[in-house]
Amino acid sequence: MATLRSDFDTLVNALSPELYRYAMGLCHNPATAEDLVQETFLRGWRSRDDLRDTKAARAWLYTILRNEHARLYERQRPEARDPFELPDVPVHGYDTSAEAFVMRRALKRLDTDYRDPLLLQVVGGFSCKEIGRMLDLNTNTVLTRLFRARKALREQLADRPELEATQ
Amino acid sequence: MNCLDFRRQLLTDPFCKDVELLAHEAECPSCAPFARDVRAQEIRLRNALQAISAPEGMAERIQLAARFDHRSTVQRRWWYSAAAAVLMTIGVSMVSLLSTSIERGNVALAQSVINHIEDESHHLREVHPVTAGRINRVFERFGAEVAGNLGTVNFAAECLMRDRTGVHLVMPGQMGPITVFFMPGEMTASNLVVDSTRFSGRILPTSWGSIAVVGESGELLDGLGERLAAAVRWPQSTTVESDLFGRGTLFAAGFTQPQDS
Repeated sequence: MATLRSDFDTLVNALSPELYRYAMGLCHNPATAEDLVQETFLRGWRSRDDLRDTKAARAWLYTILRNEHARLYERQRPEARDPFELPDVPVHGYDTSAEAFVMRRALKRLDTDYRDPLLLQVVGGFSCKEIGRMLDLNTNTVLTRLFRARKALREQLADRPELEATQ
Repeated sequence: MNCLDFRRQLLTDPFCKDVELLAHEAECPSCAPFARDVRAQEIRLRNALQAISAPEGMAERIQLAARFDHRSTVQRRWWYSAAAAVLMTIGVSMVSLLSTSIERGNVALAQSVINHIEDESHHLREVHPVTAGRINRVFERFGAEVAGNLGTVNFAAECLMRDRTGVHLVMPGQMGPITVFFMPGEMTASNLVVDSTRFSGRILPTSWGSIAVVGESGELLDGLGERLAAAVRWPQSTTVESDLFGRGTLFAAGFTQPQDS
């Protein structure tokens, strides 16, 4: 039990910051993001027998968090759908520059189907193949969604005629 | 690779090191600036996301929540067992019901002490004495006061034992570290034995609850519990109400949620 506890604590210390960033990318609310991360680890702890492979555990925790967020989204549909929701209190460690604000707002406006793989790639550093496994998509679909996600981001951030010419 | 393929591939992974992609970028005057622009935007995106840092203390809160989660699971199992025992014995007699329940509670308390030590065995490795101020602050949370000499203490924190908070100390012994739990509200009628393959000790009843003193097997603990109990003064306002199973509920000034252990 002590070893399990110690392994779990190590996992929390190592992965909670990046899972928090991922949660913020999904829900854009610091309190909700922390709740999501905590619930993710608690679910991981309850299923700790499945957490022996720490490499697989990372992808598994991301998947749990995404599912938890989806569950929350179902419960709080009206609020969660507001694409302009922003943290209502200043949050330590949250980049409040205009550039970051614009980028995050653009990210929030992305369709979930496009935002999910983009966050997993940018925040989690997962390969297209890994993202495919996590989202139950084939690799070509992941590639297409990543392309469309960045294209949509560019369109939101600025008019890019040279990009349109390639479509 | 043509310009369309180049731009598609670049937008799926702006920092892709594909040889063909890089070759096209090197020789295409219109795609090179496009690639620079895409990568600049990618850096802005990463900065916007990576600059988010987790709230201070979040990892500790998660670890604590998992610990509570574990204990509540253990407690649930204990309650299921206790409920089953009550149903089985209720037809026999109320006397046997009560005595059985008290016995089960005592076993559960002794086992909880062992579980707590094993769960937090990293505290046994503490070798640097904590300050008297630190020790005083921990006891002050319960309205208690260190009135005598506790001896060298290498770890002191508020902790959760079953469903109550108490004080967790680790002290150096002859055979290894000695763990001491001050457990206000945990009433026992007599001395209880704490024993596992590695640890042994006793739980002593006091007027305010009980105190557990546990060392490595073979450690001489005679009189230590009594000496430590006498060294701490508990508030007069502390009252204890016993429940059906002989366990008490603590009502004391300064009662707080566990923070450290």
